[in-house]
Formats: sequence, C-alpha cells, structure tokens
Amino acid sequence: MPKAAVLKKDPALLESSKFASEPQWLTDLRQRAWSKIDDLEMPIFAKINYHSWPLLNLTADPGINMSIPQTVVNESAAYQFASVGQIVAKAKLSEKLIKQGVILCDLATAIKEHGDLVKQFLFSKAIHFDEDRLTAANAALVNGGAFLYVPDDVEIDEPINLLQFQDSRQTTNFVNHTLIVAGENSRFKVLQRLATVGETENPAHVMVEIVAAAGSYVKFSALDSLAAQTHSYINRRGYLDRDARIDWTVGLFNDGNTVADFDSDLVGVGSHTEMQTVAISTDRQTQGIDTQVTNYGAHSEGNILQRGILLGASALVFNGIGKIIKGAHGSKAQQENRVLMLSPKARGDADPILLIDENDVIAGHAASVGRINQDQLYYLMSRGLTKEVAQRLVARGFLGVVLSDIPMAEVREQMIAMIERKLVNGQRTE
Amino acid sequence: MTTLKVSDLHVSVADEETKATKEILKGVNLTMNTGETHAIMGPNGTGKSTLSETIMGNPKYIVTKGDITLDGESLLDKTVDERARAGLFLAMQYPAEIKGITNSEFMRAAVNATRPADKPIPIRTFLKQLDHNLDVLNMSADMAERYLNEGFSGGEKKRNEILQLMTIKPTFAILDEIDSGLDIDALQVVSKGVNEMMSPDFGVLMITHYQRLLNYIHPDQVHVMMGGRIVKTGDDSLAKELERTGYAGLRAELNLDVDLVDEDVPAGNGGR
Repeated sequence: MPKAAVLKKDPALLESSKFASEPQWLTDLRQRAWSKIDDLEMPIFAKINYHSWPLLNLTADPGINMSIPQTVVNESAAYQFASVGQIVAKAKLSEKLIKQGVILCDLATAIKEHGDLVKQFLFSKAIHFDEDRLTAANAALVNGGAFLYVPDDVEIDEPINLLQFQDSRQTTNFVNHTLIVAGENSRFKVLQRLATVGETENPAHVMVEIVAAAGSYVKFSALDSLAAQTHSYINRRGYLDRDARIDWTVGLFNDGNTVADFDSDLVGVGSHTEMQTVAISTDRQTQGIDTQVTNYGAHSEGNILQRGILLGASALVFNGIGKIIKGAHGSKAQQENRVLMLSPKARGDADPILLIDENDVIAGHAASVGRINQDQLYYLMSRGLTKEVAQRLVARGFLGVVLSDIPMAEVREQMIAMIERKLVNGQRTE
Repeated sequence: MTTLKVSDLHVSVADEETKATKEILKGVNLTMNTGETHAIMGPNGTGKSTLSETIMGNPKYIVTKGDITLDGESLLDKTVDERARAGLFLAMQYPAEIKGITNSEFMRAAVNATRPADKPIPIRTFLKQLDHNLDVLNMSADMAERYLNEGFSGGEKKRNEILQLMTIKPTFAILDEIDSGLDIDALQVVSKGVNEMMSPDFGVLMITHYQRLLNYIHPDQVHVMMGGRIVKTGDDSLAKELERTGYAGLRAELNLDVDLVDEDVPAGNGGR
C-alpha cells in the first residue's frame, strides 16, 4: 500500500471536521467511519492507478478564511447557493419555492434545522460510509456541502444552481458532501458548478448523493474545473426508486489529476437513468472516470455516454460498467465510450464492462479510441478555417453534444470557453 | 479580373487498401476568368470530381504533372484552407456531417477566416446577410441553428452548400454535381442562389451529368471530359448536342479510345 493511500489518523483531524454543535447521531456516524478507515481498501477502478496521489494528505490543522473573494460574489449572482470551502456565501430560494416546502441550505445548517430528514438519507440510500476507504473518509471528515430537498409532487421549472468553491487560499481540507432528495413525483433540475480559489495544494473529496423517490425526475448537470494543484476524488451517486429518473450531464474539466466515480442504482421497477460525461485531459494530467449503472429493478433502463479528448502527454480512462442483477427482467443497459486523441503522446482508454446476470435483457456497448476525422477536417478547412481552428471546432463539436443539457447559459458559455482554452493550450505545446 | 488556370494537369489517386496508384487526370487544360460561367460534363468515372477536388486541394489527390494557378501564382504548394482564403470554394457532393457545431457559428468562423483577427464581422451584419440568404434559398431560420449537415436530407445538404457559398462570397466557386438528387423546385431555388452571386468578380465552374441544370444556370462555355481529358469545348449548344448523341456518339465523332461506364445512354438521362 503506497504511503499516499494511508490516512494519518490524528484525532485533531476528526475533531476539526465537526460542525458546530452537531447532533450525536452525526458524531457517531463519523466515529464509526473513522474507526473503519484503516480496514477498508481504497476503491479499485479498472486501469485507473491513483494510489500514489496525495488524496488522503489531509491536515489536522485546517485554516479557515472567512472572507469571500469578490469574484465569487460576482459569479454567485446567477446561483441560489454559493459556498467557498466551509463558508456559505449565499443560500437563497424564491419565496414561491420556500412556500412549496423546498429546502436549500448548507449541510451544517440542514443537520441543525432538518436533522431528521438529513439523517434519513445521508449515507443511507445512495452511498454507504463503509464501502471503501474513501467513502469512510468522507463520512468521518465531511466539513461542508449543500442540502436540497424537493417535496412530493413539487415541479420546478427554473434550475436550482449550486456554486461550490474549494478554498485553496490556505492549507485546509475540502471534504464536501451534497445531498439531494427528490420527493415522489417531483421534477426539477440541479446544476453543480465546482471550482477552486487559491493556489495552495489541497486534495478535494466531493460527493453528491441523489435519492430519487418513486416517479421523480431529476436532471442533474455539473461543470467541474478544480485547479491544477488539486488531486480530486469525485463520487456522484443516484438511488432510484420505482419509475424515478435521473439524467446526469457532467463536464469534467479539472486541471489536476482526477478520479471520478459516477453511479446510478436502478433499484425501482421502471427506473431510468441517462449518464453523460465529457472530459478533457491535458499536459501530464491523469483522469480516470468510472461510470456505472446497476439494474436491480425489472424494466429499468440505464444508458451511458462518455466522450473525452486527450492532449499533451495526458491520460484518460473511461470505464463504462453496465451491471444487471438477477431478477431485473426486461431491463436495458447501453453504453457508448469514445475517446479522441489529439496528441501522439497521450494515452486513452475506453473500456466497456458488461456484467449481466439475467437473460431477458437488452445490453450493448460501443467504444472507440481514435484520431480526428480527416473528412470533417478537410470540409472545415475547405471553407478557409486553419487546421488549428478546424481541429478545435471538430473537438468542440465532439464534446458539445451535451451542451444543450446544461440548463444555465452562463455555464454553457463557461464550458465552451474551457474547451477552447484547453485546446488552444494543448495545440501550443504540440 | 481574376484568372484560374489549369494546365496539363495529371492527377493520380492511391487505392486506400492496395496503395497502388492510378492516374485519373491525363492532361487537363482549362482557363476561367471571373465573370464567366463554365460547365464540365462527362460520363461517370471520367475524373470530373477528381478535377474539382484537386483544384480545391484535397490531399488524397496527387498531382504528378502540370499546374493550377490563380492569377499566375501556383496553388499546388498551398493547403486547402490557404486556397479557400485565396478565393476558391467547392460545393461538395458529399459534405461532411459535424455534430456539436451549428451551421451559423461555422459560417461565421469561415467568414472571419478571411478577415483580420481583430476585425471579425459584426454579429448583426452577419445575421442580416444570413437571413437574406436563407430567404433566397427558401430555408427556414432554424436550419442555421442546426448542427452542421447533421441529419440533413440530400436536398438540404445541397442548399446548405449554396448557403455557405452565398455567405462566404468566394472569387471562384466549383459546384460538384450540385443538381444531383434535387427535384425541379429545389433545383430552381439552388440556381436562384447561384445566379444571385453572378458578377464580374465571380466565376463558376459547374460539374454535372445533366443538361437540365444548364437551363437554370446558363454557361458561357461547356467542356466535355472523357478519359481524364477535356475532349471538346463549346457554348451551351454543345450540351444540347450531347443530349441527342450521348457520350458514345461524341466518342465516335472524335475517334477516341476510352471506355464508358454506361455505354450508349444519352447524357440527358444523367449518363445512367
């Protein structure tokens, strides 16, 4: 076991993570997770070797900066929730939504004010604290996050937007946990925007649990752009009850090494998920992305689409896992994993993994690792675009298929700008 | 006046599997000036598309002899994008489909490619021209916001090529079988778009099987290509003559030793 994968278990670290006057049940949960950390293994993702990354290099003496940078204040205008590390910059829902019983606040406040609700769903349905060393570390050391609760039958048209910054203005711990609970037959969109302020090297632990009750429909999208010096572990998981649906659209544009684990558990009969992820790896960056759909319920359906671009000497691994449990009659699992290589020095992998234990199911996969389509390039260049511009357009088009699923115009623009910036930088170093 | 000149052009292509090269063009000569409309007709497999792709600079075609010049300057060492910026445009038979890029952002990028980096076309000016061109071509406004050729029907793709032509405004346009697969109504619309471009500063080279296109876009010169060469040049009465005699008739008249893919079928039937 590399030293980096071992957490130095200083009691001060556990103590520093606790929320002010948190309830006993949470302290107990932390303690149980804390005591199991050493016994549990690091999670294993096929072909993704991240064990030497300093993901568990957490500090027992985290600094807290109470000031909110002006850029965050400015950017938060279009969001209902904004935070910098453990500091909440904004949490504001419309009167209408408050009247309908929608709750949006930071996790610490939720635990204080809506303790029973949080207790019912936190680490109980989607993610369990004792799955592996990283889930246990998150449960023991969670120090921030958001809580969104949408009651039964509530439908919301406008997206609910969360802006969460890792605060790397000083050495500190970013152990973030966002819990989203969708009541029966509720319908809404959530957007999570994840970024870093500051230049210090800190790991990031980010978890999102979505518990989707019967008949609910959640459209979740995310744009991640954590800093180059941040090693990140990102775990987003959905638990779907009968006829529930979650559509995930994730743009993974971190500048640093990233291991991402995106899962949907189709527990209920007729539940359905669409999981789309796009990513770019640049320079010497390594990103491993593991997307899994597990069909437990009969007639459940899960589709995975993953697309990635590689530049520089980077590595990008996409695992797509379709797992069908015995008893999931008439279920469907499809996946498509595509990797576009723009550099001869990069290393890309697109691995479909199908684990099927039922007969009357439909499952399939498509995977490709390829270079840019020369006919498309020729066509664009024949209209006067330089090779570099044409390449960027084709690459952007390749990732841009998910853009229409991102509900905020600002975030779509940010994503386009990030793709452009990464491609321009990548081309410059070729 | 600008002049595009093809002299003694020999072109080979390499078979993608066997890598064996085959000569397609065997000495083509052609001179076009702006303000002129030329048509090249010829049977299947005679090298018409090879000629248009080679002029444009498709890297799959290898020039083994001869030259292509624009106002005396050779284009052979220029890449396809350089030729496009020099004023050439090829409306393609099979344009590529590209998901994720809208038609309108692509055309704006193409227009800006010939402008200085710090002087892009103002968006409102661009949109005004685009609206006008869409209108001429009977295209709905949402065509501009659709992904580039993605899911377009054959006819929509052809219109889209002409939309790009009208938006980019090149000096010379080569239309490679722009009429194939179009019904009469669509053909009229596409021709209207091309005719609107006509000016002393613009030249067109049409490649076609069909005489009927020439009813809508009148050529000053008609060239007949057979066996990798231009074998006869005339005015638009030549197209009508071909309609009667077929390529086999012309072959006999000129005493040529070339194979025709489809023997004894009049050109008026599209050479089929």
